[in-house]
Amino acid sequence: MSIISINNLTKDYKTTRALKGVSLEIEQGKLFGLLGVNGAGKTTLIKILCGLTKKTSGTITVNGLNLDSDINSIKQIIDVSPQETAVATNLTVLENLEFFANIYNSCDKEYLNNIINTFGLSGVLNQTAKTLSGGYKRRLSIAIALISKPKILFLDEPTLGLDVFARRELWKIIENLKGKITIILTSHYLEEIENLCDEVAILSKGEVLKTGTVEDIKAQTNTQTFEDAFIKVVKDYE
Amino acid sequence: MNKTINFAKRNFKELLRDPLMYVFCLGFPIAMLFLFFFINKYSGGNTPTFEVKSLTPGIIVFSYSFIMLTLALIVSKDRQTFFLKRLYSSPMKDYDFILGYAIVGFIIGILQTIICLLTAFIIALISKVEFIALPNVLLLFVTNLPILILNICLGILFGTAFNDKSAPGICSIFISLSGILGGCWMPLETMGGFETFCKFLPFYPSVYLGRITSGATNALKVLYKFDGYAVVAITTIFVYMIASVILTIFTFKKNMVSDK
Repeated sequence: MSIISINNLTKDYKTTRALKGVSLEIEQGKLFGLLGVNGAGKTTLIKILCGLTKKTSGTITVNGLNLDSDINSIKQIIDVSPQETAVATNLTVLENLEFFANIYNSCDKEYLNNIINTFGLSGVLNQTAKTLSGGYKRRLSIAIALISKPKILFLDEPTLGLDVFARRELWKIIENLKGKITIILTSHYLEEIENLCDEVAILSKGEVLKTGTVEDIKAQTNTQTFEDAFIKVVKDYE
Repeated sequence: MNKTINFAKRNFKELLRDPLMYVFCLGFPIAMLFLFFFINKYSGGNTPTFEVKSLTPGIIVFSYSFIMLTLALIVSKDRQTFFLKRLYSSPMKDYDFILGYAIVGFIIGILQTIICLLTAFIIALISKVEFIALPNVLLLFVTNLPILILNICLGILFGTAFNDKSAPGICSIFISLSGILGGCWMPLETMGGFETFCKFLPFYPSVYLGRITSGATNALKVLYKFDGYAVVAITTIFVYMIASVILTIFTFKKNMVSDK
């Protein structure tokens, strides 16, 4: 069952067309990856789905709700962890979590403790966000996004700028979320998409070039590795 | 309203943990009051503008301009760090954001007024001069409300319109204007045409109304009283206040869309 349906979506900026007739179906409970090089339109697509940017044309339904007319209801069931960590820097980790929980009227203490344990934040609870390492900031950012108990979670480049250890730690956390909620993850790290995602859409210059599982895409392109498959798909388009 | 209060609490905590807030919003006004007290004391005590009843309303009005700076910094920083962008995708409405910042500015403004008055009271005790009567002290909070609202709005406006690098620069221009054109420590009443010019800006009318309330005398040793100009002063400051509220709401809403 599709939780997100995107049909012929376009987005025009002043001089460029960022999305050119994108159509996608994302199934409930899946970890769906949006893969593309810089400027492919991944972040624009996520911004539109979160109600942060207005689309130019096309239709989108999220959990059966129309994005144009039901955006306030949609905002109650989605959350986003942006590319930038976007946390309150002078607040402690616990204060950040409580602040966002209050915004969504989600004051379930047990759930909060569960989130703290899942993300391994108990050791830094009373530390201000600005003193955290990059890895912990990312963990906090994703933990914040989950505090509202969203049905759909958008993770925009969640491991960007992290060292290999912090990245692997975060992968484990994301993997544990699989099946519990629908996750839409953008990345330009092929290894990340290959390891985490149930299904992938390859985007380039605002168009969806291929969708399917990593194995499907490798088979369709007659390649051995996902990196080769990705390069072939993008090169063939160009 | 819960979301507004929750956001205001966050803003208040952020500011309380920023040392610059204490330096600008508390340290500076206290230092200014003592500075002018000592200048007056060691120059023969012949400068009415530096007397407690005259100086205090001026310094209070001047100190509000630091609230503008503080708010401009937090708003522009929230925009720059994408913290606001993240909140835009939450169920928060635009009025939650504006009020969340404004409430904090208002609380700091009231605290600043209390601290300025307490400092002035200590100075009055030290120099053994009469302090402002208690009902007038309370009235001073009301008199200063429009200029406080104006500064709060300008802070949100500059934070919304400019980034965290340029907003402080724009604010410092307004801080200087507030001090000079407000007549906080300059006897504008002796400057003829320049005083007339200042009368139609928001700063001097606020100081003027404050001095009527505190029972101050001007540089010409004439008691400030509720005269014809006081009505013009009230009108002037209200026009600026209303204009700043409208402009801030409009700019915030507009930039909220473009920031997205």
